[in-house]
Amino acid sequence: MLGELRSRLWLAIAYFVTLELLLIGALAYWPQFAENLDKLRSLIPLPVLQEMADEIEASGFPAYLAGQHFFKGANSIGGLVAVLFAMFAVALEVQRGTLEIWLARPVSRARLFCERWLSGAFWLVLPVFLSTLSVPLIAGYIDERVDVWPLVLSASHQSLFLLSIYAPTFLLSCWWANPLGIGFAMLLLALFQMSLYLIENLTHYSYFRLADVRVFVEIYDTEALPVGGTLVLLALVIVPTLLAWKRFEKLTP
Amino acid sequence: MNTPPPPSADTPVTAGRIVARSLHRRFGTKEALAGVDLELGPGGVIGLLGPNGSGKSTLLRILTGLTRADAGEVEIDGVRLEGDGLAVRQRLSYAPGEIALYGELSGAAMLEFLLRGRPPEALSRGQELCARLGLPLERRVRGWSHGMKRQLLFAAAMAPAVRVRILDEPTEGLDPRKRGEVLAILGEDARLGTTILLSSHHLGETERVCERIVLLHQGRKISDESRSSVLERARRVLRVQFASEPTAGLLESLSGVLRVRIEGTRASLELGSADPRATLAALGQQSALPAPIAIEHGSLSLTDLFREFYGVEAC
Repeated sequence: MLGELRSRLWLAIAYFVTLELLLIGALAYWPQFAENLDKLRSLIPLPVLQEMADEIEASGFPAYLAGQHFFKGANSIGGLVAVLFAMFAVALEVQRGTLEIWLARPVSRARLFCERWLSGAFWLVLPVFLSTLSVPLIAGYIDERVDVWPLVLSASHQSLFLLSIYAPTFLLSCWWANPLGIGFAMLLLALFQMSLYLIENLTHYSYFRLADVRVFVEIYDTEALPVGGTLVLLALVIVPTLLAWKRFEKLTP
Repeated sequence: MNTPPPPSADTPVTAGRIVARSLHRRFGTKEALAGVDLELGPGGVIGLLGPNGSGKSTLLRILTGLTRADAGEVEIDGVRLEGDGLAVRQRLSYAPGEIALYGELSGAAMLEFLLRGRPPEALSRGQELCARLGLPLERRVRGWSHGMKRQLLFAAAMAPAVRVRILDEPTEGLDPRKRGEVLAILGEDARLGTTILLSSHHLGETERVCERIVLLHQGRKISDESRSSVLERARRVLRVQFASEPTAGLLESLSGVLRVRIEGTRASLELGSADPRATLAALGQQSALPAPIAIEHGSLSLTDLFREFYGVEAC
């Protein structure tokens, strides 16, 4: 397991630093943003994004934080990292022919699968939690105060959302020995989903609806995870993971 | 080599044995294995021969639990192959035929990776073997030659204290000196009582180190004999080159001839004994046959022998 964790350490550090820098930049800009919200809203071209501005106007700093840190930062950078970690997980072993030496050792397949899946998942969610938990510290510099518990819940929901991208990509990686092909397929899917999100009449069909500003504001206000959304995300993590295991179990060098 | 556990009163009779019963495996329309049975060991080096595509690698992967058989049973060192084959892989070591390593790792890290799941003594033994083979463990594997990578896989397979080793072409791509060193290590291990199943394309080395030879062809086992029996059969083959194509019936009627195989103007006669004199005398008297222009006896290589007996290339 340590070897698995070590192999992704540098990418995870880069991911965390990127998230943290984006967060610091966004929070530092908050006082100016709050002051000029009306003017900024008039510049926003799409109704869906104007809706987001309305949410920020109504809820203030927590909604801004959700938009900047979760919807913009973690969804985009985290989504990319989720695909990067998962697309290479098994497909690269098949592609470069190392599957045989990986599987030939006296280590059970279940253990190999769990180690690979969990190490990627660990580095995917840890930076989200760490950067989110640094919010109270950074917020102090701009005279804002946020509670830790709603942040923990938000980070959990965000992590689940990222895992729901990670798990299907991992499944593809067990099926298709072409990591770059998997990456492109997921990128196209993400672009398609984001396009849906930005179209007023179709936005409710977008996957990103499960982790947008509205959802995080609700978590912040109710101090609870949205039951329906959480169940959907859980299913999107568990089902592909089980299918990936079924495939991995029968994988032949 | 790490010494395999010594036999004791509790050691089952199946210890160190490789048993396969009626193994079948199909890849799409191609039948890779069509009912292979094996009972090898305990102890000794067994050569597994066969032309490309004969099913050798598939058989070895099934024995190690890497590929599942469509039907059949496997038992290694007294343990049945079940589930993902973990129990079997704990009782054998395996050097794959395909060379694909993690180039970004150093030799030492790669060796550690290959020996994961083994006791710590295996790693120190692996390091000793690598030192003996002159492998630069401190350097990244990316810069290593094909032969060096092959030797690392071999060292990793020879390091654990197990009773069964399965080696897929461990000397492929090695220079004669390194090949000699690898065979010497193999011999030392075999003397400790380990059962070694060796797939090889190098018939010279198979003749040299293997006590028993199994030949696969089109997914079927077509021969399983001791080396002495193979060599004895070699001494019973008479090869005759005629001036024109001979008639099989006439050759079969010659004294002492058991079997005849004709390829153009060349005939191979399998005799009942190693003494060809009676057959040669009968050949001289048979005027209906074309004139013999060259005769060979008792000098068949393994390649020739398998070609003569089975009509297939051994590798």
